[in-house]
Amino acid sequence: MSGPPEASETGFDTALYDRFPTKGRRPAGELAELERIWCAPRRWEWITVINNNYVGVYYVGAAMLFFVLAGVLALLMRAQLALPYNGVLPQETYNQVFTMHGTVMMFLFAVPAVEALGVLLLPQMLGARDLPFPRLSAYAFWAYLIGGLAFFCSLFFGLAPNGGWFMYPPLTSTTYSPGINADFWLLGIGFIEISAIAGAIEIIVGVLKTRAPGMSLDKLPIFAWAMLVFAGMIIIAFPSVILATTLLELERALGWPFFDAARGGDPMLWQHLFWFFGHPEVYIIFLPAAGAMSTIVPAVARTPLVGHWLVVLAFLATGFISFGVWAHHMFTTGMPGVSIGLFSAASMAVSLPAGVQVFAWIATVASGRMRFNTPGLFVLGSLLVFVMGGLTGVMAAMVPFDWQAHDTYFIVAHLHYVLIGGMVFPLFAAIYYWTPMSSARPLSERLGRWVFWLMFAGMHLAFLPMHLVGLMGMPRRIYTYAGGRDWEWPNLISTLGAFVFAAGVLIWIIDMIRNFRPFGPKDAGNVYEGGGLEWLPTGLYSTRSIPIVRSLYPLWDQKNLGRDVAAGRYFLPGTPTGGRETLVTSPINAEPQHLLPMPVPSGWHVWAAVFTAGFFLLLTVQAYVASVASGMLAIACVLRWCWFLDHPQKQRTVDVGAGIELSTYATGPSSTGWWAMVTTLVVGGMVLAMSVFSYVFLWSRNMEAWRPPPGTGSLAAAGAMTLAAGVLAWLANHRLVRDARHGPWQAVAMILLSGALLAAAFAVDLTAWRGGGLAAKLSAQGAIVYSILSWQGFFVAVSAIMALYVLLRGLFGYVAADRPATVQLVGLFLGYTAGQGLVGLGLMRLFPAGLS
Amino acid sequence: MIGLAGATLVACADKSIPPRQLAGADPARGLALIEAEGCAACHAIPGVKWPRGAVGGSLAGFAGQSTLGGRFPNRPDTLAAWLRDAPAMAQDTAMPASGLTESQARDVAAYLYTLDAD
Amino acid sequence: MQTDAPPAHDSFKGWPPPAMDPAGPFAAPLNSLTWGLLAVVATVLAVVVVALAIALFAPRAWRRRLGGERLVWVAGVAFPVVVLSALLAWGLSLTHRMSEPPRPGEERIRVTGEMWWWRVAYLDAGGAEAFQDANEIHIPTGRPVALELESTDVIHSLWIPRLNGKLDMIPGRRNILRVQADKPGEYGAQCAEFCGGPHALMALVVVAHAPADYEAWKARQAAPAAPSPNQAAGKAVFDRAGCGACHAIRGTDANGLAGPDLTHVGARRTLGAGVLPNNAGTMAGWIGDSQAIKPGNRMPAYPVLKGRELREVATYLEGLK
Repeated sequence: MSGPPEASETGFDTALYDRFPTKGRRPAGELAELERIWCAPRRWEWITVINNNYVGVYYVGAAMLFFVLAGVLALLMRAQLALPYNGVLPQETYNQVFTMHGTVMMFLFAVPAVEALGVLLLPQMLGARDLPFPRLSAYAFWAYLIGGLAFFCSLFFGLAPNGGWFMYPPLTSTTYSPGINADFWLLGIGFIEISAIAGAIEIIVGVLKTRAPGMSLDKLPIFAWAMLVFAGMIIIAFPSVILATTLLELERALGWPFFDAARGGDPMLWQHLFWFFGHPEVYIIFLPAAGAMSTIVPAVARTPLVGHWLVVLAFLATGFISFGVWAHHMFTTGMPGVSIGLFSAASMAVSLPAGVQVFAWIATVASGRMRFNTPGLFVLGSLLVFVMGGLTGVMAAMVPFDWQAHDTYFIVAHLHYVLIGGMVFPLFAAIYYWTPMSSARPLSERLGRWVFWLMFAGMHLAFLPMHLVGLMGMPRRIYTYAGGRDWEWPNLISTLGAFVFAAGVLIWIIDMIRNFRPFGPKDAGNVYEGGGLEWLPTGLYSTRSIPIVRSLYPLWDQKNLGRDVAAGRYFLPGTPTGGRETLVTSPINAEPQHLLPMPVPSGWHVWAAVFTAGFFLLLTVQAYVASVASGMLAIACVLRWCWFLDHPQKQRTVDVGAGIELSTYATGPSSTGWWAMVTTLVVGGMVLAMSVFSYVFLWSRNMEAWRPPPGTGSLAAAGAMTLAAGVLAWLANHRLVRDARHGPWQAVAMILLSGALLAAAFAVDLTAWRGGGLAAKLSAQGAIVYSILSWQGFFVAVSAIMALYVLLRGLFGYVAADRPATVQLVGLFLGYTAGQGLVGLGLMRLFPAGLS
Repeated sequence: MIGLAGATLVACADKSIPPRQLAGADPARGLALIEAEGCAACHAIPGVKWPRGAVGGSLAGFAGQSTLGGRFPNRPDTLAAWLRDAPAMAQDTAMPASGLTESQARDVAAYLYTLDAD
Repeated sequence: MQTDAPPAHDSFKGWPPPAMDPAGPFAAPLNSLTWGLLAVVATVLAVVVVALAIALFAPRAWRRRLGGERLVWVAGVAFPVVVLSALLAWGLSLTHRMSEPPRPGEERIRVTGEMWWWRVAYLDAGGAEAFQDANEIHIPTGRPVALELESTDVIHSLWIPRLNGKLDMIPGRRNILRVQADKPGEYGAQCAEFCGGPHALMALVVVAHAPADYEAWKARQAAPAAPSPNQAAGKAVFDRAGCGACHAIRGTDANGLAGPDLTHVGARRTLGAGVLPNNAGTMAGWIGDSQAIKPGNRMPAYPVLKGRELREVATYLEGLK
């Protein structure tokens, strides 16, 4: 294919690529050293392990556990609905079961499952030794597993949420849901917010910064494209649900009336915030699965993907348009006609990129020769089922039709066709396709056929009749129905189908038990003859050496690649620093930039996860003191884990192969830490943006009752201090300060002063509002003002912890001119906090008063 | 559906000792009347899944009961009269007079006599 | 052993599918649209299946024609753009009549969603409440009726599939749903937005009368209750048990607002929001222990009432025709 790009992105001379593959024998003991450093965990170390080969498998396994658990709940529901006025589940239990089924499937299965696939596959596909922040993924996994299981167990105590997976207030307010059931929902979602965002940061930085040299964006595997867009969408969409859940919990715990119409709130605010997350969520789930489809279809058809760039554009278009369709869940709320038209048009437009992908897959099948093995069957089944779900989706996007179909079993059928066709079947294709990469034995083709045909038949039996019974008038979320409405037969068939589907899943579990043998010294290899780097021979260190990528399908197009890689003839054949490490490359052309030392296993992230879980769980059961203590311990564990980051290596540069010298320390935009911090701050900024929306929305509902802000004196004082804090945070990173004689101490002082100013400005602002007589409990304005203040207060508190952390590092002599990263990242955070403070001040003090 | 249910009911009734025959009465029709009247608003009645009212007693095993309304003999003619106008027989009963005709009351009674203890 | 016999009081028929069995001019275009959409969807599905079948099984020459980017452009981009644009234009042409305020002289009925029943207030020409009823909406045939949808607690949604699509009832807002029935009859309806607990048991019936019958019905309903003198015992139980704290019976001392107005409760088709037939027996069962029938509903059980009292109060209420 095409040679190295002409213009260099980083100043790296791509002519150096011609030195590979290197000639001659590698030194003896080099491989043994790699194996020693990336050794398998012994005894209890499987808990503290952070290698993606382990964590990825755990992660997929946990997601599938929740798939099975939520599936069992589905069977219970189908048993109840098999006959009219059936008595399998009482009303309250049924309401909890359907809420948990939706919540667990969406939040504890679908999102984590695709994220887990990314954690497991991406390093291998990109030619990295591991993801850039392996401990972060391990933390995300444990937080998710512990939190998810605790959340699920609420069902056994009758404490599970019962308001439906989208938890509309006011039904979920304390007035109508007085128990702690709804709080458990908010808790469960809290975990998944944390782990999803941690995973998204990991994936964005991993895909942009840890690719094999030469893997420029035009050679980026299609799955990695999908994961990149997926992670970007999480960063944009999840803040909305973070805000929504926080506001609902504030309303429940403290009585702040965001959604209470009697005090100026509006239940519609929840719907906007929830669906701004909730609809992109569907595509968040779909995109990685589509990426897997676009990887597996070419492999089983043995031909490159037709329309590769169209599919990439389709991913980007999906990501973009999906943020303009949220209100199609609200067509029956009486929205004005203009917005209805826009959202209807966007909802139809979002089916275009899906159509592009479907026909790209069909064209790929046509240009190759399809093999009907298990992954092949699952991709074909997925294609059909997904198209059917997409078409009923187009129907539902037609507003007048939606007036009839909304909240009926027609929609239940539609969403299951989309999610099973668009996510579950591709996931099973992926499991069958990639198991040989992780397991010593592939899964059984014979059992696999049974799995597919049972699941395929079962899903149609279960969900096809639901379209009809929906039009026959059966609404969603009813725990029983009267006989004599002709709903009996469709429901009985649906129940039968659900059990047929479950039989397929059961056989898959048997297949896994019989054949899945992970973590062994050798894997089953490239059974399906895929063309991606993940099929190179690997150990726990990933590939022996990191190849130069010159094609979209390197294994198909680059002769002898596997042999040369395994012989250590490419980048990083050993461990130049004597520890775990991987190559960091540039975001566009993947030119080598520096060597990233990687962490080794330790227990701190596990403890951090345990205490994070403790914080949320104890908060839910209203053990506030214990909860705060647990939260402090979690923070302490995280700080302990950070303490040994940002340590320069003894060698400032090392030979990464063929005499190419790279730095072992990086700061600024070339470092992974900088990217992670910026991505995190984008999350914060999105929460702020959604808060601004909420503020304006609530104002538009209460224009007459909106009170003027406190006087301008406090505004000027707080504004000036915040501005100064921002300038100091920026200065602390400035070259002049860093290179000055007492630069490190000046930087520490500036960070401390910046943190102090932020705290002072916040105190001034808060005092002014409190003096102004606006109470959070009494009006929507009070609630939203104090919630934005709280958000700023949270950032100020984190800033303070960070500033003290910098001071502590300074005292230990860890702030020095040769290790500026910590100060730089803390400076970024403080600078953002100052900016956020200014936005908050400007909004609440000047809008709408400043308009007049 | 109703016919099928009725056939099953008759078959069941045939197997048990026929203590109380009501000539010409149809238990299946009786069950339909029970549904239409909503007798289950007060009584749990085998064969009616919902509701299962708690105000009146459960009618499971009614055929084996020796009395009805606490003091009347559980006989077809008494039962039919009771079903039509219970307050006329017992002033303190909660059970109101129904709008059932004589033959409807006999159908309902026939159904109730299919309710064996098992 | 059980029965599938339709309860006599259930006016909600599943066949023909009510969403595709319009009974008035608001539901009719939705039905045409549904059929149009089904046709389009079937066509597109057929195209995909045929294309996939060719891609999988056809001779190499056929497959080569499909195996390029042209297929993606033609079938994945151009074809959907044309079809979707046409559909969108059709769909939007039907949506413009949303949310128009009531017109002068239009029949106005305020329907308020409550957990888990329907408060129905008939408005006079000035928009003031003329009288209240519950769990049934009576309308005249042959002209549009504006239903003003509100909620006092959580979000509900009113769905009368044969007369129009559904529209939500949202606290703090008022939505207007127009319905029209061309022929007299009963049209089943129910709550379509999950509203907690016994949401599944929150139904109602819309009764369409010929215009003259409608006026007569309204006149009867607007009149205060006329309890027959021989029900004095039942009325006494009603008063003693404090039922009037929640229920109003116009023309008596009972003036509670929390529960349904019972002025003419005996004339209703159902009890408990469309779940039970309405007669003295079901009334007694409901009053004695409605929790056994509709778990979680707001009316407590009354085990304190003696058998005879229960019968008397039920008979008294049934007499309020």
